[in-house]
Amino acid sequence: MSGRVIVVTSGKGGVGKTTATANIAVALASSGSSVAMIDMDIGLRNLDILMGLENRVVYNLVDVVEEKCKIRQALVKDKRHASLCLLPAAQTRDKTAVNADQMKKLCAELKTMFDFVLVDSPAGIESGFQNAIAGAEEAVVICTPEMSAVRDADRVIGLLEARKEEISQYRLIINRIRPAMVKNNDMMSVNDVLEILSCKLLGVVPEDEDVIISTNKGEPLAGTDNARAGQAYRNIARRLKGEEVSFLDLDSLNGNNGSWFARVVKFFNPVRV
Amino acid sequence: MQVLNWFFQRKADDVRTKAKDRMRLMLIHDRLELPPDRLASLEEELVAVVCRYFEIDRDAARFDLQQYERRAALIANFPLLRSKT
Repeated sequence: MSGRVIVVTSGKGGVGKTTATANIAVALASSGSSVAMIDMDIGLRNLDILMGLENRVVYNLVDVVEEKCKIRQALVKDKRHASLCLLPAAQTRDKTAVNADQMKKLCAELKTMFDFVLVDSPAGIESGFQNAIAGAEEAVVICTPEMSAVRDADRVIGLLEARKEEISQYRLIINRIRPAMVKNNDMMSVNDVLEILSCKLLGVVPEDEDVIISTNKGEPLAGTDNARAGQAYRNIARRLKGEEVSFLDLDSLNGNNGSWFARVVKFFNPVRV
Repeated sequence: MQVLNWFFQRKADDVRTKAKDRMRLMLIHDRLELPPDRLASLEEELVAVVCRYFEIDRDAARFDLQQYERRAALIANFPLLRSKT
């Protein structure tokens, strides 16, 4: 088996990298793929919490790299999906505990065991980020429609472009878009961000309170309910697998698409989401 | 008339447009690692050179950076009034 190693990154912190990693992984696993997640945020481990696996962590990424255990011993199996595993970060070490070569080797080995290897990158563009992208062949860049997040995403895209030979493609997820604010011209739209970054779109995830609830429950919403963010992540997983899936119509999610009048307005003045 | 305006509205001063314009300019400078005053001094020098050959319409002159995909282009437009002898 030769799986695909995909790094999830953003530059800026707090835009939803870990949430995206967990949800894409669950969506991929639900559709029959085998998936390994690597939490690369060494010292600030979080992916285990989102997955509800914090009590099952025994060994971690650093233990594997330092050959204190086998990969299989460190992989934590998901509660609901037998084909989904987490390789947790070490909580008591720092980014210098791993280097790029070790990451390449680790990703190469996991690739032989899983269809997808998702690497959850730490924020920033320093060594932690460099290690996270070291073994990756594809990248998913997460960005919210805020100026600071877009600027940081642009920086990350620049760094990914510089590694074109290793990272064959990168695509953008626009997270936490608020259709009502876009409609009022108070927030940049999906097209605005795409135009500015000149980047291929992988998905659009609307702001959704259910994301917080699912984190508190330790159950990524892509696997459990009909929340619209969950649907968005399932679509993203399908696109990653090469399916053509049309983008969520955020306008209709906003409840403003029904009347003939709304349609006429939309025709003359398309809301760009 | 108001209805028409409403149909075709795309106010230039809304927050979204402002953010987009600021963003675009900021990223062009970021990507080129261009210090903020550099463009102004280039314009000054270019105008001085052109002015050696032509009289130009300074008020109608345009000089700015535009984005094409992930590249920037320098667009200079100096309307010429007459050549200098």
